[in-house]
Amino acid sequence: MATKIKGIHSKAKSTDNSLTVIGGVEKIPTGIRGFDEVLEGGVPKGRTLLITGSTGTGKTVFTNEFLYRGITDYNENGVFITFEEHPVDIKNVRNFGWDFDMLINQKKLVFVDASPDSTTTMEIGDYDLTSLIERIKYAIRKVKAKRVAIDSLSMLFLKFSNKDSIRGVIYQICDELKTLEVTSVITAEKVGGSESVLSRYGVEEYVADGVVELALEPGQQQFLRKMFIKKIRGVGYRSGVAEFEITRRGLEIFPKIEIDIRVSKTDFKNREKLGIVGVDEAMGGGIPQGHMVLISGNTGTGKTLFGMHFIGQGIIDGKSAVYVTLDEPVEQVKKTAREFGFDFEKFEKEGKLFFVCPSLIDISNDKLLYEIVNAVNKIGAKRVVIDSISSLKSATMDEEKVRQFLIQASGFFKNTGIRSRKIIHEAGNACVF
Amino acid sequence: MSKKYILKLYVVGSSTASKIAIKNIEEIIAQESESDFEFEVIDVREHPQLAENDKILAVPTLIKKLPEPLRKIIGDLSDTDKVLLGLDIIPQNKK
Repeated sequence: MATKIKGIHSKAKSTDNSLTVIGGVEKIPTGIRGFDEVLEGGVPKGRTLLITGSTGTGKTVFTNEFLYRGITDYNENGVFITFEEHPVDIKNVRNFGWDFDMLINQKKLVFVDASPDSTTTMEIGDYDLTSLIERIKYAIRKVKAKRVAIDSLSMLFLKFSNKDSIRGVIYQICDELKTLEVTSVITAEKVGGSESVLSRYGVEEYVADGVVELALEPGQQQFLRKMFIKKIRGVGYRSGVAEFEITRRGLEIFPKIEIDIRVSKTDFKNREKLGIVGVDEAMGGGIPQGHMVLISGNTGTGKTLFGMHFIGQGIIDGKSAVYVTLDEPVEQVKKTAREFGFDFEKFEKEGKLFFVCPSLIDISNDKLLYEIVNAVNKIGAKRVVIDSISSLKSATMDEEKVRQFLIQASGFFKNTGIRSRKIIHEAGNACVF
Repeated sequence: MSKKYILKLYVVGSSTASKIAIKNIEEIIAQESESDFEFEVIDVREHPQLAENDKILAVPTLIKKLPEPLRKIIGDLSDTDKVLLGLDIIPQNKK
């Protein structure tokens, strides 16, 4: 059974096998959760990725994590060139559990501090910024860096009055980075519309081999974060938009799960028993492998119980399951199950049952699907119950999004040979598609 | 009243601007004969760590370390009056 889902949340190892080469451009994984899947392998090696966005969209966190993961996961030392924040403030990343001081002591990370200082500087006559270039070269040599982060390049235009000179310096920096064969992430402020400061000054094309834009959109209760992959020269990438979050441990991106339209053929001889007398016989043995079954009906007709039977029988047959509960909290589900004679608590402890209980407010397709896919992969589940689909139609997930979610989920389940059941509560609302 | 000045000029190699800046400072030092000057030229290529410590982005950069406060001037320093102002030096001939 072919699975089209590539290594969700599994770290790509830095061996030759993991480097994806497409059209001659080698990719290296960043180590940022979900981002490497969106870029189908990682960022182009030795090239520059530009991250743009307004303040607070997560650009600095991204660059920090790019360097941090580079060191801790892939043994690639890094240089952080900071034009905005002082290194002392950057080290607040210890809130994510990232100890930059330790990495500096271990000579794996070094700062080039170009942050504003209180000393007023007068400009009298001609100058150039070659000192900056020399400091960057020195820093890269010092720790034998393979990764460089610049936050934020657009500040140069604010600091110095000679714009032509700055343009020249930026070209020089990019040339140096290329010569030194480091992979770089650069940030730039976005100024109105879709223009970055760099594009306003005409240097974006030269600087960036790839452009990712970060955005914040207001949701119901919290802000929703999105990233738009605007271009990546020379390589393919998965769909332009991905939702993401900034969690306690860093960035978490939710790539769109590929919908493989070449679905695997259904083997109708392979049936999954429900364990409900009469129903299995009526269905010719049970649910065909990879199929999604919709249970609909009014309140109190027994839909949830159907789902619980499906889980219970599956576990008896040795098949682990994922229960996605959108209506009731997990403890309530376990209580209800117990009343019907199913010991969900025990199944969960034994690692045979995994609960996914997402918050419905500001829920997103991609995140929900991602959570389900992760849960399935985590315990090798063969059965999934979603109770109930009608709860998904909240303000941030309209009918179209629910439809998309179901299509993607269906594609995933078919390809991994998972049987799933969806439960709908609203009367007469059987047709969600 | 003799004042002691400690000046450091950061350059990268020997560019035209750096040569002009050095000449301009030497002229000021000659002019202000009543004051003591300690003047050092530092090539960023040879001492990148010093440049890093002093956060030198542009060259030439002249730093007045003493007397306090610290002052930074970038450029070839072709305007002597302005340079003196920037270094908090009241020209001898005006005293």
